[in-house]
Amino acid sequence: MPIVVHLDAMLARRGMSLTELSERVDITLANLSILKTGKARAIRFSTLEAICTALDCQPGDLLQNKDDA
Amino acid sequence: MPIDNRLTGAARLAVRIATLGNGLFLAAVAVALLLSLVFPAAFAGIVARALPGNDIAAAAMGMRLLMGLGIVMAIVTARLLSVLAAVVASVADPFIAANAVRLQQIGWCLLALQLCEIPAWLIARNFPAMGSAAPSGDVSIAGWMAVLMVFVLARVFAVGAAMRDDLAGTI
Repeated sequence: MPIVVHLDAMLARRGMSLTELSERVDITLANLSILKTGKARAIRFSTLEAICTALDCQPGDLLQNKDDA
Repeated sequence: MPIDNRLTGAARLAVRIATLGNGLFLAAVAVALLLSLVFPAAFAGIVARALPGNDIAAAAMGMRLLMGLGIVMAIVTARLLSVLAAVVASVADPFIAANAVRLQQIGWCLLALQLCEIPAWLIARNFPAMGSAAPSGDVSIAGWMAVLMVFVLARVFAVGAAMRDDLAGTI
C-alpha cells in the first residue's frame, strides 16, 4: 500500500504510548496496532479525527503517500 | 437451546440423513445395474413380470439406462450434499468467500441435476415399452428457478464476503 502511517513517530514526538492513545480515543489496542503497522485497509474520518485531536496534529502528520517520499 | 442452534442442528441432521439415504440409493441402484448385466435372463424375467405384454428387451434396456442415469444423479447429489454440509457447518460465520464458492458449486450440481431431465426425457421417448416405469420427462420450472436463485445467492455472498473483509480492515 503506498499510504504510510506515521503513528509511531507521532506518538514518540508527543511522548505518548499506544495504550494511552487507545484509552483516549476509545479504540482497541489491537486496532491501533493494525493501524500502526500499516495493515489497515481503511480508516474512518471519525477515527482519524479522534487520533488527530488526541495527538494535536493534522491528518497529513499521520498519513503520507509513499510516492511523495 | 436458542432457536438458531436448534435450526442448525436440524439442518445438520437433515443433510446427514439425506446423505445416508442418497448413499444407500446409489449403492442399491449400482448393485441392481450390475446384477442386470451379470444375470440378463433373470433381469428380463423380472421386467416381464412387472410389465406384462411389453417389449421386454427394449424395456430392460430402458431400465438399465434409467439406472445409469440414477447413478449419475446420485453421484451429483452426493457432491451437492457434501458441499451443503460444509455450508451448514459454517453458519456461525457464514459470510466468507469459501461459502460463495460452495454456493456456486451447489448451483452447478443443481444445474447438472436439472440437465438430467434431458436424458430422462429421451429415455421415456425412445423406450415406450417401459410403460409406467418410464420417467415423466416433465420440465420443472421450480427447479430451473432454484438453479438461478442459487447462482444469484452465490454472487450476493461473494460481494457480502468482500464487503465484510473491507469492513474488518477498517479502523
